[in-house]
Amino acid sequence: MYMSEVRKPLLRTMVALSVIVGSAMAADMKIEKNVDGAVIYPTKDGHYQAYSVNTQSKKGFSSYGRTPTAAEIKAWNKDVMPDGTGLPEGKGSVERGDELFADQCAMCHGDFGMGGKGYPTLSGGQGTLKNQLVDAAKGDEPPVRTIGSYWPYASTLFWYIQSAMPFPHPKSLSNDDTYALVAYLLSVNEIEIDGQELDDDYVLDRAKFLKIKMPNRDGFYPNVDGGVGAKEVAKFLKNPENYGKGTRCMKGCKDGKVTPIKFELKDFKPAMSTTRDLPKEEGSKTVSKGQKLYEAKCSACHANAAIGAPVVGDKEAWAKVTAKGMDVVYKHALSGFNAMPPKGGNMDLSDATVKEIVDYMVGASK
Amino acid sequence: MSKTIEKSVTLASNSVSTDSRRGFLKGMFMSVAAAGVVAPVALKADDAAITEEAEWGVKLGFPVDKYGYGQRSPYEHNVVRRVTDLLSSGDMYASVAMCPIHELEGGIITPNGLFFNRSHGGTAIIDPNKYRLMIHGLIEKPIVLTLAQLKRYPSESRIHFIECPANGSAEWRGPQFNSIQFTKGMMSSAEWTGVKLSVLLEDLGVKPEAKWVLAEGSDNSEMGRTIPIEKIMDDAMLVWGQNGEALRPDQGYPVRLLVPGWEGNLNVKWLKRLEFGDKPWHAKEETSKYTMLQPSGKAIRFFWPMEVNSIITSPCPEKPWTDLKKGDVVEIEGLAWSGQGTIQHVDVSLDGGDNWTEASLKGLVLPKSWTRFSMIIKWDGKPLVLQSRATDDTGNTQPTINQEIAAVGVESVYHRNAICSWEVKANGEVNNVHVRG
Ligand code: HEC
Ligand code: HEC
Repeated sequence: MYMSEVRKPLLRTMVALSVIVGSAMAADMKIEKNVDGAVIYPTKDGHYQAYSVNTQSKKGFSSYGRTPTAAEIKAWNKDVMPDGTGLPEGKGSVERGDELFADQCAMCHGDFGMGGKGYPTLSGGQGTLKNQLVDAAKGDEPPVRTIGSYWPYASTLFWYIQSAMPFPHPKSLSNDDTYALVAYLLSVNEIEIDGQELDDDYVLDRAKFLKIKMPNRDGFYPNVDGGVGAKEVAKFLKNPENYGKGTRCMKGCKDGKVTPIKFELKDFKPAMSTTRDLPKEEGSKTVSKGQKLYEAKCSACHANAAIGAPVVGDKEAWAKVTAKGMDVVYKHALSGFNAMPPKGGNMDLSDATVKEIVDYMVGASK
Repeated sequence: MSKTIEKSVTLASNSVSTDSRRGFLKGMFMSVAAAGVVAPVALKADDAAITEEAEWGVKLGFPVDKYGYGQRSPYEHNVVRRVTDLLSSGDMYASVAMCPIHELEGGIITPNGLFFNRSHGGTAIIDPNKYRLMIHGLIEKPIVLTLAQLKRYPSESRIHFIECPANGSAEWRGPQFNSIQFTKGMMSSAEWTGVKLSVLLEDLGVKPEAKWVLAEGSDNSEMGRTIPIEKIMDDAMLVWGQNGEALRPDQGYPVRLLVPGWEGNLNVKWLKRLEFGDKPWHAKEETSKYTMLQPSGKAIRFFWPMEVNSIITSPCPEKPWTDLKKGDVVEIEGLAWSGQGTIQHVDVSLDGGDNWTEASLKGLVLPKSWTRFSMIIKWDGKPLVLQSRATDDTGNTQPTINQEIAAVGVESVYHRNAICSWEVKANGEVNNVHVRG
């Protein structure tokens, strides 16, 4: 009775193996591996593993497309590469970057990019990359990965800031402003260019940018430069010893002792439940235009106390705001106020629409 | 020929070792199929769910035209993606919503509404009429396609998982979440439909100098990643279909890149541009993030594939055995997957990794895909520590926690594929524990 149970998996394994022997491994063919160490499965006899493959000729379908114009390519090809490919002309000073940062970035990234608001920290961390936080009780510290301590290339910084920041309304920074912000972020990280410190009146331009050497430029492997393509990566990935190789030990394999959770994290939204019941009636909700636009354009800052914006729903905070009189509040929303950018950075919104959003924010915070 | 057959026999008898055979003879864990007929327990009073008319049987249901797009049962409302502030980059726009993998009702497909969602600047809603895809750079014939034009290409469908390499990243130093949704929910799986890039490129002609491709999204974060040409030509696809319907916006509607088995982040959503070049771009997500800092202070970059991995989905902390009695027969079930190949074996241990038995695979076993495994046992009501360990057809096997840490330290953040453990208590409660140190 038990024997048959044992034999079944044995037989199954035999069948499975003879299938492999019969197809992929015929004539001692070795598995072909791609650059990621993964098996390349051949399409054979109209099959890609379990899938049937449509083997008809698939040529000629490009007749549906058209050639992009030079202006179109220029409009989309905005990436910046480490060798300077794609880096536009322009210039900006550390001082200008400081202003821009205070207006558009510090509410999330902290003064001088020092973090503390839950968003990425943009400065500091040099000399920490060898840290391994194994046991905080023993005083272990974590590594701090920032632009200054970790990023290998300044090109990434220029490209990323211009295409993705400021977070609530990206792609709004001019080339000059982006140079200024990069200059500022390098200066707060005490990175020099060509042996020169970046003080307030330092002006960064394309030529100087190309001389930037980030402190951690040699901190990454495998090598992909000098035309080697993905060869070195392939060598690395094909050997699991490089990243954790397991063994198929079947008996007497214990490796360590059972360690329970010390500090349980359970701030889940919504709370965990596997109950099958009817949801509680929430009443019919209609979403106003003001609310929709608030969620799309303003909530990145106004749902987050860390930024210093009055949080929608916080009655006390909004009572203080509206105490100034609605005329003043509208004016601040339209023209900006301290860290509040004009129209929240959405210059495409009409004045009337911004007022409608403000009305929603005020109404939802009563 | 006879030589190869001989080889297969020896291999086969190796893989079911005499040790493990003795293991199940002694423990009788595998004996269930032969356990004979067990009489169901007698009930003391009649069950009103049977003796009374059910309320839904004595009135009309809702009309067939009530929902143009069908809804699941309202009773399933707790089956949802969940978030925690601890895994966000500041707010819920650059964050991740975790898939409730413990609630997936078997198989290897995730319903589209439960697919995990990792985004870097919110979910973009793209007007499909204004969608354009540009392919340019070191290409003989650069091209712009509308969505309708792209969909004219002959399509293929493939089932693949997508996993964020940060899946399980909170666990490097020790167990923290008593939850499968939060330790392994940064992955999901779907049948994707689209066109293979190799088909598209056959017409467009890749120049011989082209070694790398920049894939760029059109969302707020303008997600950009460098892909080597070898992957593009092997099995990369441009996909617009997800489980038979258009991609969900949070999966990149209308078009995303699919690089089967690779880091979720590389499957660029809301794809707008593919540029062919001779050097890698070193985008933010391949320098600042998605690189693995080592104890040497240097970091591994361009770690593309998701390694062989597995997790027991039942039981798990959310789906315990508190309803079981001593002597009950129960199925231990789970998912195994590898971005580098096809699952070959999954072994299960009941004693925290000391002794192992090969589990059964069930259902479809496909390359770079979730694969279900099962082991049916008779529970003796004693505490267990359950583990699963997968091996793929490259021969790679999941490491223990100690083996993985010995290789990469504890600050890698990404690519954690060490063996997971669930402790089953005598009362049937299940907890996340580590076997390490
Ligand atoms: C509303 C909050 C917010 C504002 C305002 C903001 N950012 Fe960010 N920033 C973020 C978030 C969130 C991320 C991480 C995005 C992700 O996860 O991909 C980020 C990431 C970054 C990074 C990459 C950090 C790293 O180490 O990976 C840089 C650089 C950056 N921002 C610069 C800026 C600059 C410069 C500005 C002002 C022009 C700015 N940010 C404004 C929220 C903000
Ligand atoms: C980049 C972050 C950011 C965005 C985006 C943003 N705000 Fe603000 N907002 C702020 C901050 C910070 C303040 C607080 C300013 C202060 O009190 O110093 C503020 C304050 C306000 C106030 C109160 C002004 C007062 O008089 O006290 C209103 C009204 C307001 N915002 C409306 C909006 C609207 C409407 C939008 C979207 C269209 C928006 N904000 C988007 C950051 C932001």
